[in-house]
Amino acid sequence: MRYLWILLGGLIFQSSLLSAPPVLAPVVPGKIFKFPDDHGAHPNFRIEWWYVTGWLETSTGDPLGFQITFFRLTTQTDKDNPSHFAPHQLIIAHAALSDPAIGKLQHDQKIARSGFDLAYARTGNTDVKLDDWTFLRTMDGHYQADIRADDFTMKLSFTPSQPLMLQGENGFSRKGPKAAQASYYYSEPHLQATGTINRQGKDMSVTGTAWLDREWSSEYLDPDAAGWDWVSTNLDNGSALMAFQIRGKDGSKIWAHAVLRDASGRVQSFTPEQVSFHPVRTWRSARTQAVYPVATRIRTGKIEWQITPLMDDQELDSRDSTRAVYWEGAITLTRDGKPAGRGYMELTGYVQPLTM
Amino acid sequence: MSHTPVLELSDISKSYLDRQVLSGLSYSLAAGEYVAIMGDSGVGKSTLLNLIAGLDSPDGGEIKIDGKNLPVDDEAATILRRKYLGFIFQAFHVLPHLTLQQNVSLPLLLNHLPLDHALTMLAAVGLQGREQDFPHQLSGGELQRVAIARALVHRPRLILADEPTGNLDQDTSREILQLIRSEIKANQASAIIVTHSRLAAETADRILILDRHGLAPISLENRE
Amino acid sequence: MSQPLLTRWLLQGEWRSHRLQSIVAVLAIMFGVALGFTIHLINTAAVSEFSAATRSLSGTSDLTVRALRSTFDETLYPMLSQHEGVARASPVLEIAVGIPAKAKTVHNPALKILGLDMFRAIGITPDLLGVPAEDKPMDMLADDAVFLSPAAMEWLAVTQGDSITVSMGTRQITLRVAGGLARAHAGQRIAVMDIGAAQWRFDQIGQLSRIELKLQQGVNHTAFRETLGKELGASYLLTESQDDDARAHNMSRAYRVNLDILALVALFTGAFLIFSGQALSTIRRRSQLALLRVLGMTRRQLLRQLLLESGLLGVLGSLLGLALGYLLAAMALHHLDADLGAGFFPGLEPQLHFDPLAALLYFLLGTGVTVLGSLLPAWEAAHTHPAPALKSGSEYTVLAALRAPRLAAVCLLTGIIFAGLPPVYDLPVFGYLAIVLLLIGSMAALPYLCGLLFSTLLRALNPSKSNILYMLAVTRLSNASGLAAIALGGVLVSFSLMVAMAIMVTSFRVSVDNWLAQVLPADLYLHPIIHQDMRGLTTDEQQTITSLPDIARIDFIRSIPVTLDPTRPNITLLARPIDRNDPGLIVPLTENALSPGEIPPDTVPIWVSEAMVDLYGFKTGKQVTLPFADPSQLFIVAGVWRDYGRIFGAIQMELSDYRKLTGDDHVSDAALWIKPGATIHTAVSALKALPFGDTLEIMETGRVRAVALKQFDRSFAVTYLLELVAIGVGLMGVAASFSAQTLTRIREFGMLRHIGLSRRQIQRMLTLEGGLLAGFGIITGFLLGTGISLILIFIVNPQSFHWTMQLYVPWAWLVLMALAVLVAATLTALVASRRAASGNVIRAVREDW
Repeated sequence: MRYLWILLGGLIFQSSLLSAPPVLAPVVPGKIFKFPDDHGAHPNFRIEWWYVTGWLETSTGDPLGFQITFFRLTTQTDKDNPSHFAPHQLIIAHAALSDPAIGKLQHDQKIARSGFDLAYARTGNTDVKLDDWTFLRTMDGHYQADIRADDFTMKLSFTPSQPLMLQGENGFSRKGPKAAQASYYYSEPHLQATGTINRQGKDMSVTGTAWLDREWSSEYLDPDAAGWDWVSTNLDNGSALMAFQIRGKDGSKIWAHAVLRDASGRVQSFTPEQVSFHPVRTWRSARTQAVYPVATRIRTGKIEWQITPLMDDQELDSRDSTRAVYWEGAITLTRDGKPAGRGYMELTGYVQPLTM
Repeated sequence: MSHTPVLELSDISKSYLDRQVLSGLSYSLAAGEYVAIMGDSGVGKSTLLNLIAGLDSPDGGEIKIDGKNLPVDDEAATILRRKYLGFIFQAFHVLPHLTLQQNVSLPLLLNHLPLDHALTMLAAVGLQGREQDFPHQLSGGELQRVAIARALVHRPRLILADEPTGNLDQDTSREILQLIRSEIKANQASAIIVTHSRLAAETADRILILDRHGLAPISLENRE
Repeated sequence: MSQPLLTRWLLQGEWRSHRLQSIVAVLAIMFGVALGFTIHLINTAAVSEFSAATRSLSGTSDLTVRALRSTFDETLYPMLSQHEGVARASPVLEIAVGIPAKAKTVHNPALKILGLDMFRAIGITPDLLGVPAEDKPMDMLADDAVFLSPAAMEWLAVTQGDSITVSMGTRQITLRVAGGLARAHAGQRIAVMDIGAAQWRFDQIGQLSRIELKLQQGVNHTAFRETLGKELGASYLLTESQDDDARAHNMSRAYRVNLDILALVALFTGAFLIFSGQALSTIRRRSQLALLRVLGMTRRQLLRQLLLESGLLGVLGSLLGLALGYLLAAMALHHLDADLGAGFFPGLEPQLHFDPLAALLYFLLGTGVTVLGSLLPAWEAAHTHPAPALKSGSEYTVLAALRAPRLAAVCLLTGIIFAGLPPVYDLPVFGYLAIVLLLIGSMAALPYLCGLLFSTLLRALNPSKSNILYMLAVTRLSNASGLAAIALGGVLVSFSLMVAMAIMVTSFRVSVDNWLAQVLPADLYLHPIIHQDMRGLTTDEQQTITSLPDIARIDFIRSIPVTLDPTRPNITLLARPIDRNDPGLIVPLTENALSPGEIPPDTVPIWVSEAMVDLYGFKTGKQVTLPFADPSQLFIVAGVWRDYGRIFGAIQMELSDYRKLTGDDHVSDAALWIKPGATIHTAVSALKALPFGDTLEIMETGRVRAVALKQFDRSFAVTYLLELVAIGVGLMGVAASFSAQTLTRIREFGMLRHIGLSRRQIQRMLTLEGGLLAGFGIITGFLLGTGISLILIFIVNPQSFHWTMQLYVPWAWLVLMALAVLVAATLTALVASRRAASGNVIRAVREDW
């Protein structure tokens, strides 16, 4: 759901002439990250997200993919507006479960303006809330997610097992050919997940491994960008792989990046030229007619990875509310034909148009 | 032909307020008989006709038409009346906004009989070709011809005529009286004609005088 | 089948012979049904529109929370949002703004703006979401963007991308029309913008108008409502959509019911015309009907024939009436407002819907009334003895049956008793019944009265000296009073109703005029573009106006809407300087008010309108609490005043008390007195020259009065229309009965011609008869009308609109109308007599019809 970024381009161009527009901070190289402050919100940046994906296993051993996302958005609202309802900040949240037994996503989403303590993204440490959906980090590094969706509830806690991972150049992550097209980006791979999922009134305890992405920026993507393919995977050997490519409107690669950190903490970065995505198999959504490359080969330098989806239909179709349509799902990773790890893949921009 | 009298009056009495109009009147009219009733004004001629027609009921006595007792109930009396009786009035009484044919058809409609006989009757009374005329286009004599046709069209057993020529001049009266007699005879009906007119009475088979003592036959001096 | 053929022949014959009478009967029924149906259609359209529009503002909300005053503190929102049992809460700020561009042409040009949180509203009122331009999705949150319903766009003549200027108090705010609404209720003029922007742009920071709640599944609504009600206390109102419906219904109920009843009166008049028409028709055809009986038609057949005859007229009239009613309703909705100019439903353009059930009802009503009207004459005709009926002249005895002095006495007496009974469900049911009984009673008494009057006249005549024609006319009227009375019925009904309405409307209008003089003592009045503006004038602005040199005295008035009962429309609170020693100087008191000594020191005096007494029981001396102040503050009703402006109730209090209790120092209106020597013109110029001068509506007292009276006249426009129709129907009835009667008397005229009266003399005699009869009808109608007007003024109006008025009789107008009816009736008689006298008299003697 990082696609919101794409929307931002439009929002910035069209803003009206305000007497007191919000002043936004730029993303520049060389930022020194300070924690736990940087776990908290950065309201002077335009967009920010807390993005948890992962694989869970029920007590019966069945696999279950999940995704919990909180976005924070700084709007162009006049900062002089003293109303508590003034929509200075919007909070958006998505949650989804991928259960092969069901064969398609169960998902829910919410959006609200921050205010009245009903919705907020606090600074200082991770503390985001949207009505009865919360995502909270304790000082000892544990995360607690509490989601009450229409079809399910999730109560999950995440415990880090590895140090966090600054993406790009010490957390300065470029998203396009222009230097300004960048964000601050760090991840927490190999989070140990445990908790309860309730569906149809039945509680199931689950355990698994998750990946947290944190990213914030004020910049927008290249105007030619149409969408992206993005993969984050916890490898069985303790490594962590993140790879993405930004596609142009003609389907070509505008930008790409990948990083592989092994269990010992050694980081291997790949330049745009070294990263490429090669669709192996596509799946057509009967709902939206979008065609997604659900099985893909990814080449990072000399390594070739094979992506296989947990199930084909992991399309999130919310055209009736936020109008977003994208594919976000659990995948397995093989390397040289051998199972290597499990993670999540996001495919955006395969349905036209992407507007809110 | 049956031997039952068409009309049988036995011991009829009738009074209005404190005035006794008829008392102990008995009479029997044979089938096919044509009688005229004469008498002074107020002697009860019209009352007698109303009683026979079932438009009024006697205080005492019995009226039988074609052997049947005249019912007291208005509905039953009406049904009997429309079937067995035909009327000819002094004032014609033709409905002004119906055509001649429609006027003559009224008894047929009321008795649920086929309507074609109306045309035959109109022709019989000499109004052929005038079927679609309205009454206001007719003279008095012609109107009474319509009334005669209407009185006979449903082949009633008994015709009651009340001063049928009272509103007509002498020549016309003569014609009309001839017509009444011939049509009644042609239709094998019986008839009672109430009149002051000698001319009229003379066309009857018999003449009766109504007075305090009842009905009594007379013969006129110059009767042929 | 021979029976239908006979029926058809007789119907055709009757139609051939009496086209005019048949047409008049059809027209009478048509007008009655049309009026009733029109009013029903308009009312239904207006009320259902109002309900639907109100409901659309609440969407699928289970419960609406609002305060008794117009806004409340927003902290209730997070509290309710997280309240147990609540699934969703959507905050709403509702603001009425003025449209300066419309101020010149439209009275009170208000536009309702809803401030919504789109993210919360989407689950409850998705229809009210703005639809921004494809490339500007964030306009939904923009603080300069407003989304307009199609009706509002049309009204303001703007489209997406234009800007509109709205006003609040003296402030003007320009907004960008960013788009339309997802699905606005047709005809509803509303605007939607972001709630944060609305709070900011309209100075309502921290305020909400209402919160729409969607409850969680399985929550018991009634129990939840009860619990929450207790938690929130008496200053908050919890309403469900049916409460809004009740409110909408109550809003115009009195007005609607009164119109409905007027329509029924029109139908009743029509029924009477049918009755008199059928009565005359059966009398005229007496010998024909008798002949049919002699020829063998049973009573039942004849009765059926006669009822069928009138039933056909009823069916035809009713069908035409339905069509005309629909047409009239469409025209009225197009040219007048939904409330026919009475102003109950602003900002709505109701659509006309054909209501088959109501159509059927009015059809049955029209046909039923017709058959009922002909029942008595038909019964009489079927049950009369045919033998005497065959003879001419018998009709004079027939109408004795129609003489019913006992029925008349019972009706009149019951009517008088009913007039004294209290209202039922706030409606003057007995008042209207009393009117109907008086009408029926008078009609029943008419033959008797007619006979009485003309026989007295006859006795007073000196046969040797009097004009022979006059003698003949009076003799006939005296001896055939039943027949005369039937001809008169139509005149009596329509004229008496006209008199009643004229007296009522005049009394009302004069009372309103006097009242206006009393409540508008100042020279000038000013207020922002719309009434009860939320912001009004600030203290600085008040100071600026006060310091103008030409102003001798200035009274500032705060006017706010207050809800006392969620199922009733809002009442108005007026706070203004009032001298509690002499409140009558400002307030048009109807009785003695409490003196300052009678007001306990811990209570605040209020003076209430008559409606408050009737609707809420606020009697003088009663101590009450009011929702805009601290619940512990007691108020005492110190007096009752007359208010023709606000039928839902109004309360006046001292401005200083209001300010102390609420801290609200803004005002909505100002009354200004000019210094001696200064002219109104210079004062107005000085006011206009103020920095905020062009945002003020400044009106000279004369204009305020003129506007008020214009509104009054508008709201009675329908009444005038009904009156005209009633007179028209009445006169048609006169024409029909005179010509019918003249025809029945054709033999009589023939005889008169034979004994030596000239054609002209017969005409004069008939005209004289018509004039005498109409004169009698007019006098009776005047008396009856006056009686009805007294009921309207002193019973119906106070009971349904909660105001009293003084009696004023529009003599000149009444005399004029009486003369007009007299002339019309006489002319009708003359025309009819011409026809009669021109006939062939020889034939008239001989013929039998």
